Amino acid sequence: MSSEPQRPGSREVHDYTEEYGYHSDQRSLRRDPPRVSNQNQPQFDWISPHEEEDEEGSSGPPRDLRATPLPMALKRAIRQVQQMQVPVVSSRDSWKRKNAKSLRKLKDCGMGFLSFFSLWSKTLQKIGGNFGGGVQSYFLFLRFLVVLNFVSFLLIAGFVLVPSIVFRSVGAALVNSTGQEACMVYDPNPEGLVVFYNYFLDLLSGTGFMEYSYLFYGYYNNTMVEDKNISYNIPLAYLFTAVFYFVFCLICIIARMGTAARVVVATGSSTVGDYSMIVFTSWDYGCLGDRATKLKQKNIHYQLQVDLEEESIKKRAAALTLSQKIVLYSLRVSMCFVSYGLIIAAFYGIFAATEFSQVKSGQGGILGLFFEYLPSIVITAGNFVVPLLCDQIALIERYSPSTTVIVALLRAVFLRLVSLGVLLFTLWRQITCEGAENTGECKLCQYNHLLYPCWETRVGQEMYKLTLFDFLINIAVLVLVEFPRRMVVDNWSNKLSQWVGRQEFEVPANVLGLVYGQTVVWTGALFCPLLPLINTLKFILLFYFKKITLFHNCRPALKTFRSTTSTFFFLVVLLFGLGLGTVVMIYSLSEIRPSMGCGPFRFFPSMWSIVPTSFNNLSIITQDFLFFIGSQSFSIPLFALSCVVMCYVVALASVYGKSVALLRAQIKLEGRDKQFLVKQIEMLSRRQQILKQTAGASS
Amino acid sequence: MGNKQTIFTDEQLDAYQDCTFFTRKEILRLHSRYHELAPHLVPMDYTNDPDCKLPLALIVNMPELNENPFRNRIVESFSEDGMGNLSFNEFVDMFSVLSEMAPRELKAIYAFKIYDFNVDNYLCKEDLVKTLNRLTKEELTPEEVVLVCEKAIEEADLDGDNKLSYADFENMITRAPDFLSTFHIRI
Repeated sequence: MSSEPQRPGSREVHDYTEEYGYHSDQRSLRRDPPRVSNQNQPQFDWISPHEEEDEEGSSGPPRDLRATPLPMALKRAIRQVQQMQVPVVSSRDSWKRKNAKSLRKLKDCGMGFLSFFSLWSKTLQKIGGNFGGGVQSYFLFLRFLVVLNFVSFLLIAGFVLVPSIVFRSVGAALVNSTGQEACMVYDPNPEGLVVFYNYFLDLLSGTGFMEYSYLFYGYYNNTMVEDKNISYNIPLAYLFTAVFYFVFCLICIIARMGTAARVVVATGSSTVGDYSMIVFTSWDYGCLGDRATKLKQKNIHYQLQVDLEEESIKKRAAALTLSQKIVLYSLRVSMCFVSYGLIIAAFYGIFAATEFSQVKSGQGGILGLFFEYLPSIVITAGNFVVPLLCDQIALIERYSPSTTVIVALLRAVFLRLVSLGVLLFTLWRQITCEGAENTGECKLCQYNHLLYPCWETRVGQEMYKLTLFDFLINIAVLVLVEFPRRMVVDNWSNKLSQWVGRQEFEVPANVLGLVYGQTVVWTGALFCPLLPLINTLKFILLFYFKKITLFHNCRPALKTFRSTTSTFFFLVVLLFGLGLGTVVMIYSLSEIRPSMGCGPFRFFPSMWSIVPTSFNNLSIITQDFLFFIGSQSFSIPLFALSCVVMCYVVALASVYGKSVALLRAQIKLEGRDKQFLVKQIEMLSRRQQILKQTAGASS
Repeated sequence: MGNKQTIFTDEQLDAYQDCTFFTRKEILRLHSRYHELAPHLVPMDYTNDPDCKLPLALIVNMPELNENPFRNRIVESFSEDGMGNLSFNEFVDMFSVLSEMAPRELKAIYAFKIYDFNVDNYLCKEDLVKTLNRLTKEELTPEEVVLVCEKAIEEADLDGDNKLSYADFENMITRAPDFLSTFHIRI
């Protein structure tokens, strides 16, 4: 009974709660009789903490004092008493305590300093207070992406951009090689006089003066400097930076998922206890302002109604007859087919638009710009129309409200990411002549050198255009849809405008937009090294624009979005996007032949082949070491070791889960014991009373 | 940092830092907030621990508590006399428990106190009805209120006495992922 696996700090709290009489278990019965304490003036057992202290070790009293539920004056008195007992403690312990205390002060100072650097914390606080945790989690996610993109840009700039600039200005010699002359033709600079507005068109589509610049892959040279002092291999640096960029993003996302997952796992499945949780934990104490609190109240009211309604729906669903069930399921299956049919139609539209656009490329003027942007336009239109239709279809399917939201989200994610994949697939078809690299136009150079003298730059341009178009559409929707909607609703009060109402900030749709934008950057980073920088600027501007529209045009949503589980979900979706980017990168590194007319890999059969080439230039010792790491005598023990570690962690997790379940059962049992004992006491006291009465009557 | 303040001695500030989750700067800022609630009552010099309490009515007018439906209960739970008169010690204590660094167990203890309207160490149905009415500003019908309260007690009550003891409450709170972030006032 006394084996209670608790943390030392919480054990202190546990003791003090006993004194309140909250928890009547064996412990307090064994010690002093529980004192009947006034709610606000608890008694404090001056003797007990010292016993606890010796078992505490070096965690020190100040740590625990903060977490004790006693009034302040009492805490200060305890602290004074504890400080006066220094002679009891050995000098080593007191030195450890002083160390811990100064370390803590240093950490507090550091935290204060770092919080100065954390972006936009006051804005986020205001958003959370006025619109709730769901909307705030969107902005937190956006801030995370801004920081991720900025750090990635610093990485790329440090290893690829700056050395390229230095070597180009110094005039380092290029490595030349012989090869097919026709394949090496690449002339991106426009001839003759350029009309003025062409500069603007070039800015939007990444052609012309922007094509042959640090923005795109084609400008980087394959300089391999080997001086006495320094040796720098630009192609190798480019490759390793790209690979490390992906690994770095993966680590950041997983680290962030870890903190979110910890909360989700610790609280377990939250299917039970919806009503009690709504009653006790839904009020946000950080809510500010009159309007926000009224809306919060409406929110809670709505939540309870929704839960009551879901229960009645469940009851009705359980009461369906067999024929009704068959009808419902067949309806669901057919609606599924309809929605997937819509999605596939969207994919075909993107495919056709991309082929058409590639064929018509090179046209000038506004029409040319329209053809350039045709894939982006079709993708955006598809991403807008198809989810709307899918939402209507989901209503027909008659799932419960929470399932409907999840199903709609999953379909939208599928649509967005796979439409990007279709665009890339179409490009690949054209670049590699539909995979058959030794036929037709690809016979000479293993890629279509007539259409694409520098195919990497072309892919980079597509990604650049997608990013830019996404940003422009966001701003256009803001200016042309949201502001007018608010002005109409506010100033023109009739039934229609009341029914339409002010805009609600749709968190899932906006998050999907962010994930899509980030996925585009990941697929394009290999071909357009400055894309993370452009994306950082885009997301920073997006933050301010979304904040403006949130405060001016939106009303807080009636339906809430659970903030802790949703952060985890956003990161999972982001991982899907990272997966798509990784697939693209791996395929382009290993399978497609780099362009011979441009870029740092121009004379290699594949981008990856620079690694074996440079490998041979390393010293023999390093080569032997690397061979050893890759050999079986190292990797097999490493594999075995990681299996052992994983089994240990899994076993630990299952043991914790079992002990949590056991403790929960124990709580239930103790409650039942208490009930039983109370009944026994009642029975005995009644019997005693009866005996007394009969004894009194008979005497 | 170099700026000498004369409100507290260094000893007192150290004590506050050890007993709450605030830093020196935040404690000084809290003192200025406390002072501006009643500038003529609250002395600027706290070096000799003056005995000054502010009444409930002044404290619940703070913008952070103004719109909170449980503001009276919050202040009463932290006051020593149970009537809502807070000295500066209790004021700091209150915001320390409601800050984001306070652990879950500590917050659960005080949340239980706040929702216990009749101060009998149990959350009975009347307590829940009062809580729910303040939450939804009486928009639910009385039947719905009773239904929700009964369901809430049914879900959380483990020892079957039709009211929630602290153990039941704490068990339910540990399964609520949002508790730490909602039971939090920034000052």
